[in-house]
Amino acid sequence: MMSGVTTTDQRETTPSRTASVRGEIRREARIAGLHREPSLGAIKSRRVQLSLVAFGVVVALLLVTTFASGWGPDSDIVVSPTVLRIGLIALAIGFTIYAIEKELHLRKLARLLEDEFAINTALSQSLHQYSALVAASRVVNSVLELEDVLDVILENALDMLDGDRGSIMLLEGSDELRAVAVQGHEGAKGAVVKVGESISGQVARTREPLILFGAADENRFPGLHKRDSAPWSAMCVPLENRGELLGVLNVSRSEGGEYEEYDLQTLRLFGEPAAAAIANARLYESERAHVAELLEIDRMKSEFMASMGHELRTPLTSIRGAVAASRRPVLSDEERGHLLDVVDRQAQRLHYMVEEMLTSSKQRTPGVMPMMRPVDLAALVRLVALDSQVAGRPVAVEAPKSCEVRGDPESLRRIVGNLIENAFKYGALPVRLTIEQDGSQVLLSVLDAGPGVPPEEREKIFERYYRADRTDSRPGHGLGLPIVRGLVTACGGTVWVDEGPEGGAAFRVALPVRSEHDRAAEPAPPDVEEQAWAASRGS
Amino acid sequence: MGGKPRILIVDDEPDVLLTLRLLLEGEGFEPSLAAEGETALRRIDEESPDLVLLDIMMPVLDGWMVLAQLADRPRRPRVVVCSAKTGELDIARARELGAAAYITKPFDPADLVETLRDVLAGKRNEARAVQHPAQDDEANSRT
Repeated sequence: MMSGVTTTDQRETTPSRTASVRGEIRREARIAGLHREPSLGAIKSRRVQLSLVAFGVVVALLLVTTFASGWGPDSDIVVSPTVLRIGLIALAIGFTIYAIEKELHLRKLARLLEDEFAINTALSQSLHQYSALVAASRVVNSVLELEDVLDVILENALDMLDGDRGSIMLLEGSDELRAVAVQGHEGAKGAVVKVGESISGQVARTREPLILFGAADENRFPGLHKRDSAPWSAMCVPLENRGELLGVLNVSRSEGGEYEEYDLQTLRLFGEPAAAAIANARLYESERAHVAELLEIDRMKSEFMASMGHELRTPLTSIRGAVAASRRPVLSDEERGHLLDVVDRQAQRLHYMVEEMLTSSKQRTPGVMPMMRPVDLAALVRLVALDSQVAGRPVAVEAPKSCEVRGDPESLRRIVGNLIENAFKYGALPVRLTIEQDGSQVLLSVLDAGPGVPPEEREKIFERYYRADRTDSRPGHGLGLPIVRGLVTACGGTVWVDEGPEGGAAFRVALPVRSEHDRAAEPAPPDVEEQAWAASRGS
Repeated sequence: MGGKPRILIVDDEPDVLLTLRLLLEGEGFEPSLAAEGETALRRIDEESPDLVLLDIMMPVLDGWMVLAQLADRPRRPRVVVCSAKTGELDIARARELGAAAYITKPFDPADLVETLRDVLAGKRNEARAVQHPAQDDEANSRT
């Protein structure tokens, strides 16, 4: 009967939450003669009272029944002892039944109160969980920067689950997890764990949430880091979006109670919008990078078109000049021959340029068509430094008076400009430019007093979109250095980064010096006058 | 010589030098050549040409630097800039630096010859002097 009541209560209370329980409590309280809002304590003391009274009454009645035979004839009561006994026994039985019934009601009342308490607890817990989930979905909709998304997710998870430490580890490549957001043990940021190793690695491999009490066992989690074994109670859930593992979310606490299945379920539920938010932020980031790339390509195309238009003018000038000159009334056959050669050569040059342009557009690398020529790098660097100074970015130049290299002036200008921009964006003042000639090459260095570039990042920063410190919010599209590398390579040089004498970053560009071989291979300026002169004179 | 106007052609393109030399010779000028700025300045000092036909984009010492250095000289020749740069800023800059005329490549050879004659006759120079009298005074007073 009791279990039947309980299930009925549960079925009724579930939809209307506490309302029906409340009504029943009031009814029972009235029957039990208690206040409308009874407490468990009041019920308990009422039950004690009731049992004491019942016990006292029954004992008294039994005593009276037992000793009633001793009553003398002087007694005023004229009742047969047998009748009296029966009456008293009946009274005792009746009172006992009454007391038992009261007791049953009081018990039911106590149970109802406990039910109500349970419902209230569950309600407040789910409210907590719900508000955290709402917060997470707000994150999905409002924050787009990946770093912010990660921070908000972690904060919400810790807040919701009373954790004091937590981390989000994201999958890098196929077999590594990196701690990208950390709270409570900041030193762990950037830590890398192999998939399958340690707690996070195991959750990433199995994609099953995990709950732990006390110190973690190294045998169960190979490769366990010491800091992971410290927390008293910890949970780790996989972050999955559309079946794809993005990483894991860790929450732990060193004081307070142990985490239970209920908490794990909450964290798991929370993981869903969190993973969606991370996926969205990544999508946004890649879209943004894509747009930056398109803008850059567009800019490069415009520049390329401008420089192409420009380059096309020179051969046209020669051709028109040659045609006009060949109309001279007095002209030797040899002179005419030279002029026809000019037309032929320049037409070939135009043809070559058109071919180059088509190739370049096929490669999707417009602008990378260096016009190699001797350039005074020292003069060029001073000019760029002057422009930079005017733009509010002072740069010190240490260079010889002149320093000739082979390269494309426009490319070189962009190389120097991009490196200066890079130094101001990621380094610190003062920024210095130095030029040293070293045998067959010239070394251009851009030095800053910033934190420098760690050895493991020194190749990566030349990759497209790579930004050394992913946490910083400074603007940048990650194309500056890749472009520098492309241009330097196109000019026949090399670019790399190492540590400067004062500890900051030192970007080095090695360019080939204009060699004697180059001078012989190309129509070099000093010979031109004689050549042209001889040609015009004939012989 | 017979008073043929002497023109120094400065350009880093051998074929431009060659064709301009033949063209201008045929038009009654006496051309000499320079392939970059330093040679140009040396030949200006040594030969004092009547006019310099100056390209802008050249290695080592470009046309801008030649113009800037000429501005400091007491007896500078008239300069006609002949460049593939077509931007208005470039043209304005050339005028600022004292060029008498600006011809964009590729040019009509007849136009070039006409412009050279105009400048030699002082027509373009006067026009420029009217535009920038202060600059001329300044350039003269510096000497």
